[in-house]
Amino acid sequence: MLYERLYCSSVLEYPSTKNLLGYKNPLDQTKAQMNETTQITKDRDTMVDTVQTTAAIHTKPPRGASVFVGLSGGVDSALAAALLVEAGYQVTGIYMKNWSQDLPGFVCPWANDLADAERIAYKLHIKLDVWDCEKDYKSTVVDYLLDAYAKGLTPNPDVMCNQTIKFGTFLDRALAGGADYIATGHYAQLSTTTPSIQQTNSKHTTDKQQAYTEQTSGIQQIDQELPKLLRAADEHKDQTYFLWRVSAERLQHVLFPIGAIASKQEVRRLCAERKLGIEHKPDSDGICFIGPVGLRTFLLQTLSRKVGPIVEWETGKILGQHDGAFLFTVGQRKGLDLGGGPARYVVATDVVQNCVFVSAYKHCDALVLKDLTLADCCWVAGMPPAPGTYELRHRHTGALAAAKLEILDNTHAKIHYLADHEAVAPGQSVVVYDQTCCLGGGIVQPRPLPQRLCAIC
Amino acid sequence: MAQSAHRQAAHMSASHVHATRMHTAHTQETHTKVPCTPAFHMGEKPSALAPSEQSHRSVYLDYAAATPLDPKVLEAMLPYFSEVFYNPSAAYQPARAVRQTIDQARARIGALCGARGQNIIFTAGATEANNLALTSVTGKVFVDAAEHDSILAAARVRDHYIGSVCADGMLHIEELVGILSELELISVELANGEVGTIQPIREISQLVSHERMRRLAAGDMRPLYLHTDASQAAGFLSVQLSSLGVDMMTLSAAKMYGPKQMGLLWVREGIQLHPLILGGGQEAGLRSGTENVPGIMGFATAFEIAVAARKSEAARLCALTRRIRKTLATDTRLGAVFLGPNSESQRLPHLVSVAFSGLEARRLLIGLEDRGVFVATGSACAASKMQVSHVLRALGVDDAVARGSIRITLGRQTTEQDVTYALDALREVVLLERA
Repeated sequence: MLYERLYCSSVLEYPSTKNLLGYKNPLDQTKAQMNETTQITKDRDTMVDTVQTTAAIHTKPPRGASVFVGLSGGVDSALAAALLVEAGYQVTGIYMKNWSQDLPGFVCPWANDLADAERIAYKLHIKLDVWDCEKDYKSTVVDYLLDAYAKGLTPNPDVMCNQTIKFGTFLDRALAGGADYIATGHYAQLSTTTPSIQQTNSKHTTDKQQAYTEQTSGIQQIDQELPKLLRAADEHKDQTYFLWRVSAERLQHVLFPIGAIASKQEVRRLCAERKLGIEHKPDSDGICFIGPVGLRTFLLQTLSRKVGPIVEWETGKILGQHDGAFLFTVGQRKGLDLGGGPARYVVATDVVQNCVFVSAYKHCDALVLKDLTLADCCWVAGMPPAPGTYELRHRHTGALAAAKLEILDNTHAKIHYLADHEAVAPGQSVVVYDQTCCLGGGIVQPRPLPQRLCAIC
Repeated sequence: MAQSAHRQAAHMSASHVHATRMHTAHTQETHTKVPCTPAFHMGEKPSALAPSEQSHRSVYLDYAAATPLDPKVLEAMLPYFSEVFYNPSAAYQPARAVRQTIDQARARIGALCGARGQNIIFTAGATEANNLALTSVTGKVFVDAAEHDSILAAARVRDHYIGSVCADGMLHIEELVGILSELELISVELANGEVGTIQPIREISQLVSHERMRRLAAGDMRPLYLHTDASQAAGFLSVQLSSLGVDMMTLSAAKMYGPKQMGLLWVREGIQLHPLILGGGQEAGLRSGTENVPGIMGFATAFEIAVAARKSEAARLCALTRRIRKTLATDTRLGAVFLGPNSESQRLPHLVSVAFSGLEARRLLIGLEDRGVFVATGSACAASKMQVSHVLRALGVDDAVARGSIRITLGRQTTEQDVTYALDALREVVLLERA
């Protein structure tokens, strides 16, 4: 196993003082701790301490290990690279060229970003390679986005980018190119975990877990040393919402050097301290390949406008016209152009009939959820968690909502909210957390229209 | 008053929100106790970050990209932004005076290259002038592969032939001779801005006049014109039209300590151009739009200064570039390879194109910038797209060499001390990368 090989070879290659004084193979240490932890029960704080120790082992690969770090030219990845260099790793910077297409009114900043990445690499005395990932990016992220919108969904392209590009293509290519690990500037943390540790979580969980394991005995047991995906120290920057489709199997080759830093402000300060010269670079928000021109402009490059009715949800009355149901998303208020009257919200869209349904009532039944079906579920650990009550996130750094999770099968789940929840656009990610641990999630499925409205369109 | 109170309130509520956020973050952290990664931000002092911010000296060595406006040029331009703002097309006396000043400027420029002022068309930069020149014919256009992007791009949308160049950037005359009978226009720059090659324009013009005679005798009515882009050359070489024997010539103010977005095309009488910009019919209908009066005034003054200083400045800069070449060539550890012609008479005196094979020029640029030295890699446009410059490719330079190539161009402000400093910096940066 690669993980094992790494640690063993590191002991051979880097005989530290610890080793001379009877240094133990870290793997053996981990195993020893696991044996200890199985004996500890109930006390949550003790559990967290254990996780902390094991996490330190996971995130502290041997000095001199080869780490390929994705340098975007931004502050976060720059600091990640700097910290890795300082920690003694053999660091190679990689600029992933994912997209370089300009849009009307938006010049894609990739050349500037590359220049910044180059500057950072130079200052850190590391090599920078440019990897052209445009083909993969186009086929898995951009086409996915267009396809999803065409189907009336509201996708999260960042989630796809992480799964297929950063922790897909990039990871594969890095490992093939001699990397022991990859690192990114994501705000997330990793710790090693095992089913046995999870069982110590609480008596309650243990029962659920065991009951579920019995039910699904066909599912393969997960590897003992796979890491757990944990939220970042800075709750306001935490990016685990975008990482839910990355498996623990992949995460075991990953480092998140800045996940433990308290705030973005601190990240900027640490960058400034190191004179990386980019500490004032503004955060890039939104979908990177669309920039400030907006999604509408981007979608209309490929998809055609098509006139259809705007229908009042309660009465079925046609209130006006729209120019393509795929351009609208649940909860949207802008762009309806109904010429006065109360503010109206999109409560549902139907791209097949090309209808947009709106309501003036925030508490309209279509905007309130009691339950929700998720498809295309992915679980970080490689198998679904035990059914039970978890916290859910419906958008990046959004509020956590408590809900019961019902596992339907390997890729489907149903959630039952403990309190009514506001509607979520189909196609969006719902991410499941157990405390700070990101377990995975699923994609919100469209709900069928009520019979009375089917006739209208 | 009310406004400032409002602003203050907004500010206070913002800081309140911030405090709340901080508080939440704090409680979250103590509650969950997520593991920290001590190895990452408590390491030893960053040793890899050494070379930056050493000196505050700044040495600009990219004069082929842009030149600073000469103070006298600025002085000549200033009145035309404010006091003398009139539209030269207007009918009243002050405006007609501006029209006269423009025509005088046109004549002043003409006098410096042996042209009649009325044959000069002012444009917004050399790129536009080059584009306009290529509208003169409908038949086949010959350009060489080392031309500026504006010539290559404008040629590609027409019937065209791209001639190859030698390893030193010199056009293959025999290739031109071979295709001459098919051509209606030849566009070859007077000197190349990337590697400095001075093209044999007089020789080409002789070929052109022979071919014209042949066509005349044979009753072949197709035209044959010769255009030269002298933007990069005008500060160092004579641009006397009678001696060059061309039919059209492009000049740029931006390369001779004049304003940017100011160029011109000189056109021999009888050549029919087709305007790219339509409108009020200014510049004899070939370039509509109210004249850039300050720009034109700046152009005339800049050209006058450049022509007066040409000889001495060329000799001074030639001595400096000779020193740069010698120093870089002597230190064999650097592995410097010079691009462009070897002979001083065949290249621009202020330009050194040098490659450090196996190194990344982009990294050298960053190292130099850290030391306050500004140079170019390839041509500016090509560099921003991170591609090997088309000129180096045309010269047949190996990619590994091309990627490590930088262009150093000196100018009026460059001193002996600047060169010494820049050479030390360059040596240091190259050796650091070679290590």
